[in-house]
Amino acid sequence: MTPHLFAAAPKPRVAVLSLASDFGCQVALSNFPQLLESLETIELVYWQLVLSADLPDDFDIAIIEGAVTTTEHEQFLLKVRGVAKTIITIGACAGTGGVPGMIDSQESLKQAQQEVYPSGQEGAGATPVADARLVPRPVSAVIDVDYTIPGCPIDSGEFSNILQGALLGVNERTEREPLCAYCKIIEAPCFYLMQGIAVTSAKAQGAATTATPCLGLVTQTGCGALCIGKGRPCTGCRGVAIDANLPAAREFVRKAGRSVEEFDAALRVYNSYYLEQRSGDEHHDSA
Amino acid sequence: MIYKIISKGALADLFAGLQETYDEVVGPQERGPAFVFDKLSSVDEVRLNYPSTILPPTKYFLPADERLFRFDRSTGDVYDSEPAQGTRAILGMHPCDINAVLMMDEIFMGDYVDPYYETARKSSFIIGVSCMPEPGHLCAAFGADEIHRGFDLFLTDLGDRYFVSCRSVPASELMDSYVRSCEPSAEDINDFQERTKRFKEAFAPMPKMDQLPLLYGAKYFDEELWERIGDDCLSCGACASVCPCCYCFDVRDKVDPGGKTGMRHRIWDSCLKSEHAEVAHGHNFRPTRASRVRYRFFHKFVGNFSRTGKMLCVGCSRCGKACKVGINPGSVIEALQKEYLPDTAGVEVFKGGGAS
Repeated sequence: MTPHLFAAAPKPRVAVLSLASDFGCQVALSNFPQLLESLETIELVYWQLVLSADLPDDFDIAIIEGAVTTTEHEQFLLKVRGVAKTIITIGACAGTGGVPGMIDSQESLKQAQQEVYPSGQEGAGATPVADARLVPRPVSAVIDVDYTIPGCPIDSGEFSNILQGALLGVNERTEREPLCAYCKIIEAPCFYLMQGIAVTSAKAQGAATTATPCLGLVTQTGCGALCIGKGRPCTGCRGVAIDANLPAAREFVRKAGRSVEEFDAALRVYNSYYLEQRSGDEHHDSA
Repeated sequence: MIYKIISKGALADLFAGLQETYDEVVGPQERGPAFVFDKLSSVDEVRLNYPSTILPPTKYFLPADERLFRFDRSTGDVYDSEPAQGTRAILGMHPCDINAVLMMDEIFMGDYVDPYYETARKSSFIIGVSCMPEPGHLCAAFGADEIHRGFDLFLTDLGDRYFVSCRSVPASELMDSYVRSCEPSAEDINDFQERTKRFKEAFAPMPKMDQLPLLYGAKYFDEELWERIGDDCLSCGACASVCPCCYCFDVRDKVDPGGKTGMRHRIWDSCLKSEHAEVAHGHNFRPTRASRVRYRFFHKFVGNFSRTGKMLCVGCSRCGKACKVGINPGSVIEALQKEYLPDTAGVEVFKGGGAS
């Protein structure tokens, strides 16, 4: 008989932290049907959304939502990395820069600032942060991240699986390939191919084409092709897959009679930071 | 083998017999612009004249995600490790797909028996159905356009009636109990031959299979060729998902939210993923797309061939439809054949070569 594996060790102390985001992933977490079971394995010491406790000085695991958009965020993350043994990011904002990442240059940052605060004022009593604002980045651009849970919002089942893995010290295991194989597994007819008929002939046969190009071609799998199963094209919220072949995907989109510009614009919603980082080596990523 | 003739209307009687005899009856049905194998609740749902399905019916023997067992970490117990026990009739399998199942049988019920596969396989009743080749179907090139075993019943469509081959005792019993049939007449047999002739003549020209395993070996190090194909590959693995002859799986553990119990399951894997050939300390035997695409077809045309004498492909064309960039057995064979093997030269190309 194996001795009881849980008796001795104290429960890891977990803090849920927020940067720039809409709290959607934290809402997804709070709606997790088996949240209470998960809580039996950890000691939740800080979670602004559901607890009134202040952030303690030490904790073992930091679960971080949101993109890095201010110098304050940067300093906060460096402090957190110094304290926590394990860092888990949740959601697209923290993972890829997400929607905040659509501001991808100093120019667009300045422009957005002027649009939102035309008078230069940030509201009565607000701390002026204009000078401290940064072009949004994912958490991994500032500190080392141990586990990344992608998606907008995250899937609470995937969260639980990765959290339990982290508690057991399992290595991070990122799904590397794009989504398409999973669309086959759920037997969803492909938006581009309509079961293999080239898009051009699909049009001739009156098959429906989608308004936005499906980004499953390059987007990290693992979501269970949720959107496609509901009849919607992939929006790329899980980020560009490690194995993705972006040049070949663009070439396919072009041959399928769709606009590559439209494809790239759709991709920028969640992947602007990635595209900016890679803009120099586009032609060398076929390995 | 016993041969019978049944009317098209008698399919409803056969279906009723299947429903009474088996826990579940599945068959091809429409889904949007495509066809899929799924549970049938009425004979009206089945489409026996379907061109192909997104996934092959092998999904019933090796599911995309299959529980192997559950475990309790606090006690060390392993439980729920029994394979699923229900019986299933699979109606409407094409010859290519039955041929594929026979190859899977060699893998999962050969030297090492996989209890999960074996249980699903042995609790299945297979009814094949004749088809007509669609553009891109390459079954004839791989000798998978005919099937003579691996099924219980096979229905050959003669227009207003089926020519039925009964290959098993349960099949004969089912026919005797539920379906009104008669012995084939000389005219029926003549129509069967005519139908077979039309079927064979309907194929578009097949890829040139001459010396394929040798040729593949000889061109294994043709980097330009493989990089050209690899550059196009989206690395999505859709081809492997839909392949009735692909059988790679990954085994993973999933711990439940409470942390005490969990599940070990296996999910489909594919050699197109960069992770597939990665080993401890991060070394990857196939780090490039080109090496992965090359490996996929090498395994199909050479690896398995040198072991069993059969290529791991039945020419069903599903991968050709699933691949957005046109990489499929036909296009790869064409790329292998065309540059260095003119029609007249044949095997001459290997003179002095180190082909293996």
